[in-house]
Amino acid sequence: MERLNRDTVIAIVLLLFCGILFWTSFDIRQPDYGVLRPSTWPRVVIGILSFLSLIYLIKSLRGNPEIATAGKSDREPGIRGWIDYWRNPLWCFGLFFAYLALLPVLGMLIDGIAFVYVLMGVLGGWDGKKPLVHAYIAVLTIGSMWSLFTFGLGVLLPSGMFMDPF
Amino acid sequence: MVIDNIIAAVDVLANAHAILLMAVGVAAGLIAGAIPGFTIAMAVVLTLPFTYGMPAHLGLATMVSVLVGGLSGGLMAGILTGIPGTPSSVATTFDGFPMARKGEPGLALGIGVWSSFSGGIISAILLMTLAPQLAQIGLEFNPWDYFMLVLFALTITASLAGKNMVKGLIAGALGLLLRTVGEDEAAGMARFDFGSDALLGGFDFIAVLIGLFAFSQLLNDVRDPEMAKKSLTEQGTVRVKLEHRRAIAEILKRWPIVIRSSLIGVFTGILPGAGGSIANILAYDQAKKASKHPEKFGTGIADGIIAPESSNNAVEGGALIILMALGIPGDVTAAIMLGALLIHDVIPSPSFITDEPVLAYSIFISFFVATFMMLGLQSFMLRIFVKVTRIPMYVLASIILGFCGIGVFALQNVTFDLWTLLWFGILGFIMRHFGFPLAPMILGVVLGNIAELNLARALAITPDLSPFVTRPWSLFFMIIAVFSALFPLFQGHRDKKKSWTLFYLPAACFAVSAPIFMMGGTIRPVLATIVAGYGAYQLWRRRQNGWTFEAAE
Repeated sequence: MERLNRDTVIAIVLLLFCGILFWTSFDIRQPDYGVLRPSTWPRVVIGILSFLSLIYLIKSLRGNPEIATAGKSDREPGIRGWIDYWRNPLWCFGLFFAYLALLPVLGMLIDGIAFVYVLMGVLGGWDGKKPLVHAYIAVLTIGSMWSLFTFGLGVLLPSGMFMDPF
Repeated sequence: MVIDNIIAAVDVLANAHAILLMAVGVAAGLIAGAIPGFTIAMAVVLTLPFTYGMPAHLGLATMVSVLVGGLSGGLMAGILTGIPGTPSSVATTFDGFPMARKGEPGLALGIGVWSSFSGGIISAILLMTLAPQLAQIGLEFNPWDYFMLVLFALTITASLAGKNMVKGLIAGALGLLLRTVGEDEAAGMARFDFGSDALLGGFDFIAVLIGLFAFSQLLNDVRDPEMAKKSLTEQGTVRVKLEHRRAIAEILKRWPIVIRSSLIGVFTGILPGAGGSIANILAYDQAKKASKHPEKFGTGIADGIIAPESSNNAVEGGALIILMALGIPGDVTAAIMLGALLIHDVIPSPSFITDEPVLAYSIFISFFVATFMMLGLQSFMLRIFVKVTRIPMYVLASIILGFCGIGVFALQNVTFDLWTLLWFGILGFIMRHFGFPLAPMILGVVLGNIAELNLARALAITPDLSPFVTRPWSLFFMIIAVFSALFPLFQGHRDKKKSWTLFYLPAACFAVSAPIFMMGGTIRPVLATIVAGYGAYQLWRRRQNGWTFEAAE
């Protein structure tokens, strides 16, 4: 039942999404030239997506096993269980978010090394010699890639506040 | 003319820079293909940022090399650890792993490598001979025909959706919708930008692909904290040396299997929606059915390695034939290749080989050369593979996520692309979790604006919609689009023995023969008569069997 509810919720979210985009499509300016109006194609696609979402909704309400999402996970119930189960992906998202937020300050090289180092730590642990090995790996890999793009391909990567004077 | 193009293509690739890039590409593909959880599509997507600053022929040669390497890399993990590196090498493990466990891992790997090589070469030859011929037909296409061709390609989403067709189609439609964000190409008007300058430029295609495919896949790989800390070595033994001579002798004794399996691979590659994951199982099954000792399959025999490995390497040749000749992708990897052409300002279309002969032939040549390189590099990469298998998954995932950041930024030097990567990584992860296949979405993203642009061109010539049904090629693609869309339904209902499925094949033959007949000339009406005749024969057989399902078998 829980799974079917989840599909129903996704279908409703999709229908709402289609509704918002359809409404927004009226803001698209229509030029005086051309036969295919800029809003026509998006509206056709939104129409198709809405129709498919409606079928999805009906199937989910009928309890059709074909559309049911992946089988039950082995996670513990409750918010704590949910966080424990999704711990690693949540760390990845969070750290990547922090990586992007700090990019203008730290620059691609320092920020990249810090991101890979911290991510390896939270995913693999901090015990024993791991912090040292992780630091070595992070500096070597990101350093090489940064050098390849900067010196080899001539790409100007963000330097950040610390490396700006150089 | 063909010789001139080949010479010109060889000329642009015959330098140390190109050879080095291709060798690195093959090596990277071999490693990526060998690591379970790292798909070939992901490897090709991750290569895109590196190729962005290169000339088109070099960038595409590198990507083709990664592709060829990836196709062959899967066998290393499959044979040595029992875990297929890619879905294309699933059937290889059926006999490869038992042979390795019987104490002959070197022979099993040797057979796999030489079978991959044979399949690759056969498909490269077919690619070079068939694609230009097929492309001649493509020159007859007008915007109406091309729009319908893209529409037909979009029906592949139904096949790519797998068991869950509604979710697959939704994913495909989301991909199409995603492509409408930003200025439209025909009139230059802003769409769904919500007042943001960043959105006005639309989402960068590569950032979306890497986010959806690579980022979300990596998160999936490290989801389980215990598995994330494990390395492949803990699951099998990997100290081995390839036995080339014995492997070649075994393959030469079984050359009909190599030819048959390679042709199955090429044909499966040409079919939209089918791919290596289907071809290797199909070839294995055919080898088993044709064998005098089917009971020995699964116990570690050479036939069981030759068939899947010849076929999975031949698949991409088939997919590239359709991509190069008609400009439509046969599978996800071909869709990414199509995207690579787009970022190099090459618009894939039926006239691609005629308009860009040197580039087209450089792709043919690089496919050919990469297959030879794969053979040479396999022994060396096996040693690297042994080292890579000792690295825990979380380390690999962290490093690759770091690389994704640098690579995506380097595409356009725009930070917004990195945010695109993150949001689409999250979206891809959620979609995977809720059972939405990502392959149809990729197809939608790739084909969305091509469809719209051709529709706009067709309507700019005349607002009249009748050419869509009166032009033979347009009608032809419309009909096969309808039958292609219905195919998954047909498959499902045929298993349940629904009576309408008896008429599917005859109806398809009759319907398709009409536009072929309309094309005129001498050969095509004859071909149309043969197709209609085959439909009539199938109908007659079903009638003779009293409209029962024996006739349809």
